[in-house]
Amino acid sequence: MREFKYSNVEKEMEVYGFDSVVKSHCRGCHGGCGVYVYVKDGKVAKIQGDPDCPINHGTLCSKGLAAAEIAYHPDRLTYPIRRVGPKGSGKWERISWDEALDTIAERIGQYREEHGPESIVLGYGTGRENEAAIYRFANFLGAPSVLTAGHFCYGPRISTSIVTCGTNPIADYENLPKCIMVWGNNVVMSNPDCYKGEPFSVALDAGAKLIVVDPRQTRAAARADIWLQLRPATDTALALGMANVIVNEGLYDREFVENYCFGWDKWVERVNEYPLELVERITWVPEEKIREAARLFATTTPACIQWGVAIEQQVTCADNNRILLHLMGITGNIDAPGGQVLFKTPPIHNVGNFSAHAYLPPEQAAKRLEGRRFRLADRFGIINPKAVWDAVLTEEPYPVKMLFFISSNPVITRANAAEVRRALEKVEFMAVADFFLTPTAQLADIVLPSATWLEMDYTGDFWKRHGWILARRKAVEVGECRSDHEMLNDLAHRVGQGRFWWDDFEGGLDYILKPLGITWKEFKEKHDRIRGPVEYYKYKKAGFSTPTRKFELWSTSLEKWDYDPLPMFREAPEGPESNAALYEEYPYILITGARQPGFFHSENRQIPWLRDLHPDPEIEIHPDTAAKEGIEDGDWVIIESPRGRVRQRARLTSGIDPRVVAGQHGWWFPEKNGTGWRESNINILTRNDYDNCDSAMGATHIRTLLCKIYPENGRAS
Amino acid sequence: MKFALKVDDKHCWGCKACEVACKQEHRAPTGVKLIRVGEARPGRTNGRADSKFIVNLCRHCEEPPCVPACSLRAITKRDDGIVFLDRGRCTGCGICAKACPYGAVAMDGPGEPAWKCNMCLHRVENGLIPSCADNVCLAHCVYFGDARHIDRMIEEKSWLKLRLEGALGSMKIRVGD
Repeated sequence: MREFKYSNVEKEMEVYGFDSVVKSHCRGCHGGCGVYVYVKDGKVAKIQGDPDCPINHGTLCSKGLAAAEIAYHPDRLTYPIRRVGPKGSGKWERISWDEALDTIAERIGQYREEHGPESIVLGYGTGRENEAAIYRFANFLGAPSVLTAGHFCYGPRISTSIVTCGTNPIADYENLPKCIMVWGNNVVMSNPDCYKGEPFSVALDAGAKLIVVDPRQTRAAARADIWLQLRPATDTALALGMANVIVNEGLYDREFVENYCFGWDKWVERVNEYPLELVERITWVPEEKIREAARLFATTTPACIQWGVAIEQQVTCADNNRILLHLMGITGNIDAPGGQVLFKTPPIHNVGNFSAHAYLPPEQAAKRLEGRRFRLADRFGIINPKAVWDAVLTEEPYPVKMLFFISSNPVITRANAAEVRRALEKVEFMAVADFFLTPTAQLADIVLPSATWLEMDYTGDFWKRHGWILARRKAVEVGECRSDHEMLNDLAHRVGQGRFWWDDFEGGLDYILKPLGITWKEFKEKHDRIRGPVEYYKYKKAGFSTPTRKFELWSTSLEKWDYDPLPMFREAPEGPESNAALYEEYPYILITGARQPGFFHSENRQIPWLRDLHPDPEIEIHPDTAAKEGIEDGDWVIIESPRGRVRQRARLTSGIDPRVVAGQHGWWFPEKNGTGWRESNINILTRNDYDNCDSAMGATHIRTLLCKIYPENGRAS
Repeated sequence: MKFALKVDDKHCWGCKACEVACKQEHRAPTGVKLIRVGEARPGRTNGRADSKFIVNLCRHCEEPPCVPACSLRAITKRDDGIVFLDRGRCTGCGICAKACPYGAVAMDGPGEPAWKCNMCLHRVENGLIPSCADNVCLAHCVYFGDARHIDRMIEEKSWLKLRLEGALGSMKIRVGD
């Protein structure tokens, strides 16, 4: 008999002759998965999941498995460079770190003096766990506008849940929900923060019922007990319809509603404005199915909602989030085991402390771009990106002279790419820190080589809401690459804010851990991860951390900031119901942003193992629609919106409504030497005007727009 | 004692981690896949959606047609059940690829030796589980084990109890008597 053991580290070491193995945590997406990193001759030779990690239980996705291919890619930036030709010329020279950081520091000093610190905008994209360090640097600089994805990614979940119930409720897969409602999310392909696909999948295998709300037939939708294929961007209406059923059939948790909710009566009045016949008309989902799903969700306990970014990238962003929070609340699933838990992190200097928001002078905070327009976002230090492009291009309300993007590729990932590019071409000085020379970095004056997660020490996930902090241990070094944290720590000393930083960034890690009474060295030597105290139904003792101490169905915070305190549905400004004339010319609803395994937004298109999973950008089209437009499977298709046109390849599937097509985001072509930023970039098509944004959060509605499609080769009409 | 490697397609989410785990182990060139996650695009069965993924890899057949197809005897059916392609002996004629009814032999251009799943023989002989089946899959649907029991492992989800106890790291797979 032969016996084999899962994840057999000792045997891997012996058989392959690795020199060492480092236990760490991946950050190929938003992070969290425990890994073993095997090292041989000073290089990463293999990456494997850690079966003891509660996030991934040893499993690992394609991005984590390919991390060394990113680290050692021949095109990887391994030293700082300075542009020597005109923008976009592709002419660079190698410079030293000292020269690069002195140049950036000099510009910061110059613009701070000439135009005030508000003329300097730092930014990140999804964030490589450098978010807190970037905010810290900006706040001590007095720069109030930090350009992130926070307006339409994770920021809305955090800010709406804080105003509703104090913190972000996390689906508690550990305690096996009996019903999971996946709402606009494909957790097995993507990274919805906190827990990943594995615990979700296990909960299903353990018998959970499944409801999926998605315009696309994901595999989860195919496996679901109930799939609600809604008209894209009608989520608020659908959820209000479900609330209507739950209220009027008396399926809510009376004890919770009576004792712990604020604003029930008025909320019920609002919910009653959404009878199912209206909701069916708005959402295309048959009444009966909505009723069936509402009943299943409300009567199966415990139940959770697996949500994510799709509901955030809409004009109804804040209300989408809030009504789903309300569904979690009124069904009694908040802070219930197997429901939606308000986890506590261990006692640490948390992301808010570390970001030093309290140190941004109020007169500088008042200058946050469009802060008075997007007042919910403003409270959380979040801006809408268009405000920055406008300030660069028009110098109103004041000029932005310098951009510093650290792990961000806005030319590809922000709405209205043509405008983004114009702003980056015009801005007086731009620095970028990244792994590769992205279409954004190509327009920079100085590009700094960032370290990957394999090359840094960090208190992983310390900003998340699942209650864990994780030891990310440095395994290797590559060229002159430095972690963004280390870089900012160094730069801080050069711009006169050194007293708020440390000799090196290990001091920052010690600062984060200080309330726990341990140093980083002790953490990494003694622990792989530390969990905060786990306790359920905390509100029964302490109430919720909101102004009323209640779960706020009626948001007193939003009321104070002059918004509708109750959620309501609103049509996106560009859609079949809001613009009939345009719909005639552009007869399909384009949805964007479905995740592809292997890619993380605009990342990883140059990694052969990952590109091999999806060589080309694809648009999903129903076969009937394709036939009508003369398109065959695999054809290159032109997708045209009122803003422009791009090309993607047709992928025929009946898993999408014939009135809807689904294009992919994040595409550029590293193999085309930087000329590929426009060709298939879905953000050439998206719009970023403020009418097309959530009025509270400033979320840009990029998930739907109107388009026409036709074959590139001009076949048929 | 016979080994088996089998995917429970029904539970596959299509994340393709198994493809990349295989790449990490074998470093097969771009376009060459020893395990491939394919898609059955959604149709309708009795009005019910049936979109799913189908994972293709060498079946390590009882009577593999690729074995007699190879005049150089580069492919052998071993006593332990593994159908082994010796790339050192292969001249890349591609006849085995044509003989395989599952399309599980991959060619990398004329004259290049063929590629196929050898069930990570070098790992298995050293007491390690094939890379795609070594607790990579988030659905836990790639199974390695005794050929006599593999269908029962799939049916019973052999890993689930240990996983729910938080003890996947101690999961052991026994092959043979």
